[in-house]
Formats: sequence, C-alpha cells, structure tokens
Amino acid sequence: MAEALYFDGRSARGQRVRLSVSDGQLHATLLDSDGGVEGQADLLAGQPTTWHWPLADLTWPERTRHTRRVIELRRGGTLQALDDAAFDAWRAQRLGQSDSLVVRVQRHWQAVLAAALLVVVLIVAGYRWGVPLVADAVVALVPADVERGLGDRALAQFDGDWLAPSQTPPVEQQALRDQFTRMLTDEQPDASLQAPWQLHFRHGGDRLGANALALPGGHIVITDEMLALLAGHPDTVLGVLAHEYGHVQQRHGMQALARLTLVSLGASALVGDFSTVLAAMPVLLASAGYSRDAEREADATAARLLKASGRSPAAMVVLFERLRAGEDGRRGRSLPIALASHPGDDERVQFFRDAAR
Amino acid sequence: MQPFSATLPATTGPAEWRLQFVGSGSEYFRIWIVNLLLTLVTLGLYYPFAKTRRLKYFHAATELAGQPFAFHADPWKMFRGYALVAVMLILYSVAGQFSPVAGLVAFGIVAAIWPALWHSSLRFRFANTSWRGLRFHFRGSRGGAYATLAWPLLAVLAWLLAIWLAAPESGQAPSTGAAIFLGAGWLVLVLAMPVFLRLFHAYRQRHLALGAEHTGYTATVWGYYKVLLQSVLVVLLPLILLGVLAAWVVPQLGSLPRPGQPADPSALIPVFLAGMLVYGLSVATMLGVYTARMQNLMWNHTSSRHIGFVSRLRARDMVGLWLKIGLLTVVTLGLYFPFAQVALARLRLQAVVVTSSLPLDELAAHLDADDESAAGDAAGDLFGLDFGL
Repeated sequence: MAEALYFDGRSARGQRVRLSVSDGQLHATLLDSDGGVEGQADLLAGQPTTWHWPLADLTWPERTRHTRRVIELRRGGTLQALDDAAFDAWRAQRLGQSDSLVVRVQRHWQAVLAAALLVVVLIVAGYRWGVPLVADAVVALVPADVERGLGDRALAQFDGDWLAPSQTPPVEQQALRDQFTRMLTDEQPDASLQAPWQLHFRHGGDRLGANALALPGGHIVITDEMLALLAGHPDTVLGVLAHEYGHVQQRHGMQALARLTLVSLGASALVGDFSTVLAAMPVLLASAGYSRDAEREADATAARLLKASGRSPAAMVVLFERLRAGEDGRRGRSLPIALASHPGDDERVQFFRDAAR
Repeated sequence: MQPFSATLPATTGPAEWRLQFVGSGSEYFRIWIVNLLLTLVTLGLYYPFAKTRRLKYFHAATELAGQPFAFHADPWKMFRGYALVAVMLILYSVAGQFSPVAGLVAFGIVAAIWPALWHSSLRFRFANTSWRGLRFHFRGSRGGAYATLAWPLLAVLAWLLAIWLAAPESGQAPSTGAAIFLGAGWLVLVLAMPVFLRLFHAYRQRHLALGAEHTGYTATVWGYYKVLLQSVLVVLLPLILLGVLAAWVVPQLGSLPRPGQPADPSALIPVFLAGMLVYGLSVATMLGVYTARMQNLMWNHTSSRHIGFVSRLRARDMVGLWLKIGLLTVVTLGLYFPFAQVALARLRLQAVVVTSSLPLDELAAHLDADDESAAGDAAGDLFGLDFGL
C-alpha cells in the first residue's frame, strides 16, 4: 500500500489518499486525517472520495536518492508520495521495474563510468578526426568570393594594427615577384591551375619583425625584415614564399577558421554556459595543434617547389639559422614564421635536409 | 474533510518558509554525464531532452514548505524551438561574415523576432513549472515584450549604424570627429545598461502569477546602478591599487628585464601565474558580488498581494563559491561542473525565504479561476522556446 498527497491542480490543498492499481488504472481513495477511509458523510456532502486515472495518463517519477516521488497527472495535478521508500517498494511490486534505459544507466556506477569514458573517447575522436573532416567539407563549400572577402578584411586589419608600408624599392619587389612567378610556372606551367595569389611587401616593425604570412584569399605578405634577414640567399626567400604559397594552395587559413569555429562551438556546448574563459582554452590549444599539421604541409610544398625549379630545399636551413641567431640577440621581439605553434625547428631543418638528398 | 497539514510548518497567520534545495552533486553528475554522452552521440539533437532532464532534476530538488517544484515541459516541443533558434543564429553569424550590410540586415531581422521569442519562452517556462500541482503562469503580453526590448534594440541598432557610417570599409580608421562621436555613443550605451537590465527584469518579475497572486516589481533604476557599480568597483579599485603598487615595486627589482636587455624566460612564469591569479580573483569577485546583490535586489522587490520574498544572499559566500568552482573545475578538467551547478543552486535558493500572509492551503483556494489559462499556455505555445537558466 502506498499513501500520497493528492493535489488536484486547482487547489494547493493536499488530500491524503491511498493508491492502488488494477485494470490498467491507478486508483486513489481519500483517507481521513487519522489514515482511515473517509466515511459516508463526505459522500453526502458531494465531495468525491475516489479518483481513477488510466496508467497511460501518468508520468512516473525517476527513482532518485534525494528528491521526492511525485506522479504527474496528464490533466493537471500531482500525487506526492508520503513515504518515498514505501512508494518505491509498492511500485516495484505492483508495476514491476519500468525505468527507462537512461534512468537505469544513471543508477549503476559502472554504466556511469562507461558513459564518462565514452564521452572522453568521443571528444578526443571528434577533435582528432571529426573536426578536420567537417571543417574541410565546409571549406570546400565556401565560394572563392567569400574567401577573398575574408582575406581582404584580414589584410586590412593587419595593415591597420600590425604592418607599415614597405621600404623595399619597387624594382626589387617586382624582381622577386617575377622570380616567384617563374618558380611556380616551373612546377605547374598552366597558370589557371595555380592557386590565385598576390604578393604584398610590408614593414613588420617591432611587433612582427622578420616574418611572412599567408591569409585567406591568396594574400602572401613578406616583411622587409625577413628580406633583410635573408639578404644574399635569394633561394631561401623563394622557399619562404613557396611555404606561404603552400598555405594558400591548401586553404589553410580557411581550414583553421572553420576548425576553430567548430572547436569553439563544441567547447561552448560542453562548458560554455559556465565559463567563456574555460571555453576559450581548447580553442587556443586547437589552433596550436592544427597549425603544426598545416606547417608540415606547407614545408612539403616549399621543398617540392624548390626542387621543381632546380633549387635545393637545403636553402631553407639558412632561415632557421638566421632566425635563431636573431632570437638570441633580441628575444621576444620578433614573431617569425617559426612560431611556438610550428613544429620544432630541428625537426623542420632535418626535413629540408632530407628533402635535398 | 480535513486538509492534510502534518508536513506544513504553519497553517494560520503570516508565515515564512525557507526554500530548500535537496539535490546532490553526485546524483546530478550521473544525469549530467549521461546527458552529455547522448548529446555528443546525437550531434546535439538530444540537447532539448538533456535540458528537460536537468530542469526536472533541479525543480524536483527545490522544495517550498515541504513540497517540491516540478517541471513538465515536453522535450519534443522544445526541440522545435531550438531548431528555429539555431537556424536563426547560424544565419545571423554567417551574414556578418559576408558584409557589414548583410550583418546589419540580419541583426534587424533577429531584433524584429526576438521579443516574440522571449515572450514565448517566458510563457513556456512558467506554464510548465508547478508547485503542489498548481501551474505558474506568465501574464506578460507579446506587445509588452516588444515595448521592453524596443529601446535597447534601437540603441544597439543605432550603434551599429553609427559604426558603419563612421567607417564603411572595415579596417579603415574613422576620422577624429567620428571617433569622438563613437566614443560618446559607447559611453551612453554603457551608462544605459542598468536601465535596460531593469526593463528586462521588470518585464518578467511583474508578470508572474500563481493563481490569484500576481506579482509586482518595485526595484528602482538607482538600485541597479548601485549593484552594477558595486560589482565593478569592488574589482577595479583593488586593481588600480595593485597597478600603482606594481609600478612602484617592479623597477626596484633588478632581476626583471629592462627594454633592450635579453630576458630570462623562466622569470616570466611567476609573472604569468600571478596574472592568472589576479584574473581569477577578479572574475570570481565580480561575478560573486553581482550575482548576490542582483538576486537580493530582484527578489526583495518582487511581491504579490499575500506573498513576498526575502533574499539574503551574502556576496562573500558567493565570491568564495565562485573561487572554489573556478579552481576545482580547472583541476578536474571540467568534471566538477555538475557539482558546481548544484552548489550554486543550493547557495542561491537557500538564501531565499518566502513569506505569506495567508496559509498556503487557503491561498491556493483562490486559484481555480485562473488555472485553466495556465494549462492552455503550454499547449498553445507553438515552439517550446526556452533559453533561460
């Protein structure tokens, strides 16, 4: 037997009832304050003393440890168990176990642990394979116009905040542009099959220093400081440009944008309503992780283009030597293309040496 | 017939009941992790179901006068609402990527629909909340939602328009005059924040109903300025002091690098850690003071004819809890999150006392007339929109 307070949905006054089940129905019988079944007097007063509900019209409570047992009635009103333990026992005896799968999983610590492990596996797998897969599919759908628009805005932003006009003479600029065009043509004679690119010369100043970058839409930027750093090593300059061209060709800018957007969406879905700081952390980690892969691909492009144009990939070794020498002189001032997010310098030097063989 | 009264603390005269929160972190953890798994597996489609399960647990764990609240929403209805909002937000964020004009148009469209969605979500939330079998009811009108949101939305629209006029091409620097104009506009927008916030709160707190009890809201704009100013100053003043102190102390330390001198990177680690510490302390303090003072302001100024609320949430308890949550969440890589939600709910809810000048049983006797419309709310709502909490 289970006893409950019956709230009829129209009044906050609870009525003490005894619950029973038969013929697919739940019955409630009014009890008086002493727990006895109500007498004839109330029947005469026109007050109902029994109620019946089809079992299909009830929502049974989950068996929790801390909250009360309340049956919801479809047409409004609730039945609140007076003794939760007695209610559970009565329900199990009269109706059998009817918890949903989700509730049963929650009740067993082994299942909860398995769920937790599965969550970790899913997050790792989603991050490792899911995000790149979806992001690349999204990037493939982005029209060239949109990418160009994004790239133009990014370049404008860099020009506003980070870069100054170049001090390299226009003649030198044009010469380098022509050399690079020839280098690309050596590998791919059909210009229509090359990725569209534009080469920009800028002054990096204190913040960017010796640097080269590739933006969405084919913008390649090289700083005066980078040209100065590699003075006397024209092949290395071309190698740096080829590295950036690799980013352009493989649309790494758009990929990074799509991946970061996806990771930040995922992160904010997981913990976002709690803390935006916390949500930003995986994004930062992802941007470092993903760009390492992108750098390797760009390095491969650089090595390929250098070789195809009859130059040695070993020319790139100079870049790392000079960057390291520059770093020792004035640490922390330059933000070279060998960022923290790049693979280790030694690994890259080895790659270019191997490619030269 | 005797009303059942054994579990009720008092049945006559004005009385007080402290809200009780009986939920436990370990119990909610189980719900949370299963919800998370199913949401991930279904690529987010399970989210409305997860949210319903979460809200059901938190409602059931909140008790007033011995009886729990209940949440009744149909997740399938919420699903439609979420799909609508998700599509809208995606279109909105994509439009901004194409061009500022497209972004502006998208903002205009969202602004035009948003008040209706807000109204719909408030109605849905309260119509699906019950206590002792009685449904709550949100009495605000759709027109009221538009009137409430019109000013803030117009202000933001004017602001976006001003930015666009000052610098039509992105990346292009605005002229000095335009910059001053924009700066002034920004200042006005910031100073108007408390006014807007009060408008939002008032629209909700003024239109809650349980049967014949209809709430009113008496918090003033000055109350809002006070709370927001307190929350900002409590962090800003110590930070300024710290800045002054640092400016005085740092040059005294010989070990730190001077410009042009190579720095030892390991010297930066304590600086970084100190920075993180100051940041964490600042965020926890601001959040703590704000949530505590705002909750007190809001509920101490909400009352109906017979029912009132007294909220005495102490800012220092709230700050302490936020600090603990921040630390443990980072240390446990997010696994503390469900425990944090339970701890927050307990601290915030148990600070609230409900007063009634009528016995709760009798109070309920007023209810029969209005309750039908409350049930109708939930049924009539096309999209089960719910973005609160």
